[in-house]
Amino acid sequence: MIQQFLDAFVAVQGWLLDKVVQPPLLALGLGSYIELAFDGVEIFLWGVLQLLVALLVLRPLETLCPLEHWSDRRAVRVDVLYTLLDRLGVIPLAVFAVIAPIFVEVEGWLRFQGFIPPQIEDLLPALEHAPLLGFFVYLVVLDFAEYWRHRLSHTFGWWWALHAIHHSQRQMSLWTDSRNHLLDDLISGLWFALVALLIGIPPGHFIGLMLVVKLVENLSHINARLSYGGLGERLIVSPHYHRWHHSLALPPGPAFRHGCNFAILFPVWDWLFGTLYLARDNPPTGIAPDTVPGTPDHDGFWRQQWDGLRGMWLAMFGPRRPQP
Amino acid sequence: MFLNFARRVLQMLCSAALLLAPQVHAGVAVALNSADGTVSLIDTNTYQVIGKEVACKEPHHLLPTPDDSSLIVACSASNQLVYFDPKTGKEQRRVRDISDPYQLGFSPDRKWFVTTSLRLDRVDVYDAQTMQLKGRLHAPKTPSHLAFDDDSRYVFVTLQDSNEVVAINLATMRPEWFLPVGATPAGILMSPDNRYLMVACMGAGHVEIIDWREQKTVKTVPAGTATHNLQPRGDGRHYFVSNRSMDGSIVLLDTRTMTIIEKYDVPGGPDDMEVRADGKELWATARFARRVQVVDLTTKQLARSIPVGSSPHGVFFLDHAARK
Repeated sequence: MIQQFLDAFVAVQGWLLDKVVQPPLLALGLGSYIELAFDGVEIFLWGVLQLLVALLVLRPLETLCPLEHWSDRRAVRVDVLYTLLDRLGVIPLAVFAVIAPIFVEVEGWLRFQGFIPPQIEDLLPALEHAPLLGFFVYLVVLDFAEYWRHRLSHTFGWWWALHAIHHSQRQMSLWTDSRNHLLDDLISGLWFALVALLIGIPPGHFIGLMLVVKLVENLSHINARLSYGGLGERLIVSPHYHRWHHSLALPPGPAFRHGCNFAILFPVWDWLFGTLYLARDNPPTGIAPDTVPGTPDHDGFWRQQWDGLRGMWLAMFGPRRPQP
Repeated sequence: MFLNFARRVLQMLCSAALLLAPQVHAGVAVALNSADGTVSLIDTNTYQVIGKEVACKEPHHLLPTPDDSSLIVACSASNQLVYFDPKTGKEQRRVRDISDPYQLGFSPDRKWFVTTSLRLDRVDVYDAQTMQLKGRLHAPKTPSHLAFDDDSRYVFVTLQDSNEVVAINLATMRPEWFLPVGATPAGILMSPDNRYLMVACMGAGHVEIIDWREQKTVKTVPAGTATHNLQPRGDGRHYFVSNRSMDGSIVLLDTRTMTIIEKYDVPGGPDDMEVRADGKELWATARFARRVQVVDLTTKQLARSIPVGSSPHGVFFLDHAARK
């Protein structure tokens, strides 16, 4: 069964490579990118499968047991566009194209200085023979880094102005996960590349790590009454848990002045670093007026991109405003 | 139901007996799965996969030691060389702090061990006995495969993205000349008479014949789409050339006439190859199909297709034909 699925998958992947991707690469003298393009086609196909799961499983869940009822779903449309650009690899490819040459130069220079970047296996050699355990360790370390990236994006005013695009959605749904400012995506990519350089994430793990993260993120934004159970809610970020992160009103107290529940996969980071907030009710989502420079509440893709840049400029050079 | 139960018990007992039996195989082929970080062990008599060993992060190419006592796997993302026993496929030892090894080779005089770093544009030269780094050269762009002259004076490296071959003088550890060749050069081998370099140019779809002493191309031999690698048949005259596209092929080059004399259909992106000592079979990794393909050289047909791991790259068995 698994072999049949793999055979079918690589047949489609190979066909796309052979008929669609490889000819222009060879014609343009970019033949050495074929192996990379093969991985890119795989990311695209996994994205298609993720979209199918979203349409055939998650969307019906939102219809069957919604948290909020919306008579008008027009505000969601732009999030669908973000999701298509993200899951089908357009945004990841653009981010990769910008970041990869920079990191190759930096890493190449380091090697000439006799410095080989460290790897987790240097500390835990046993992981060299336990790839599944290694995958989990990388996932945990990556999630730790993601917690801090996410928290800092709420802390610095200029970064919050970009990230506010993600939070400005008042109709939070499974599509909201990918609604991010392109510059925010680029910073996230840089952050990930830096972590990958520091701990030596194997390229073979990239797709697996990405799939796990995207699945949990998809679910954590869903507009459905979906519970992971008493224990599950404490182990994995759930829709209810993450809804408080998107809450229109911040929880009371100085610990939450920039927000709460920043974790992407594992709530343990919020618990450890004092940003955990648990409550029974499901708050409305969005951002309160005047917590971000500019007015990032438009529905158009390009308008949102402009709002983010303008907000960032105002945060850096405009009059001081209260932060979330 | 009982019959099923009995069958399962019998299967378990048989499996246990197999586990207790000595792990000695008459013929084992080792296939390197780059994306999985594993090696697949294949019984060369039954064509069955009999095991899988964890190797490292992103292993790409493999090379037997000159005495065939070990098989060296180059682990680019782990910065390691992992030595395997070619008879059993079991790990022997690891050499660490070998920076990003991609392709590798021993000079014919066994004095030098050379690695290319495809990703970081570098060629490293080690003392083959001590594995001490003796030379590190910037080699833009994308140094891929390598070959030596019979006197071990030069190592020749294909530069995939700058469409050149560089000749590095092993006495001075300096590049001596660069020669422009067809688009995206990858595989490179010295002809049996030490006169010509044969370069597989992926983008151009041909093998380029270079008189390396005169530093000029004397002939181009069209081979097929995405011409990638070369492997001697072992008779001092003929070389197999893989065309690494999804509906790929392998052709046979006669080095006396410098013409293609045979063609075999080998789908899945044939990449690295190995030839049986009796000349009856050609094995090739199908990079894009998760398979190792076996061509019956008597019937000239694809005889076996063995499922292995993701992105299989190098393949080796002890019972191989001569390397010239």
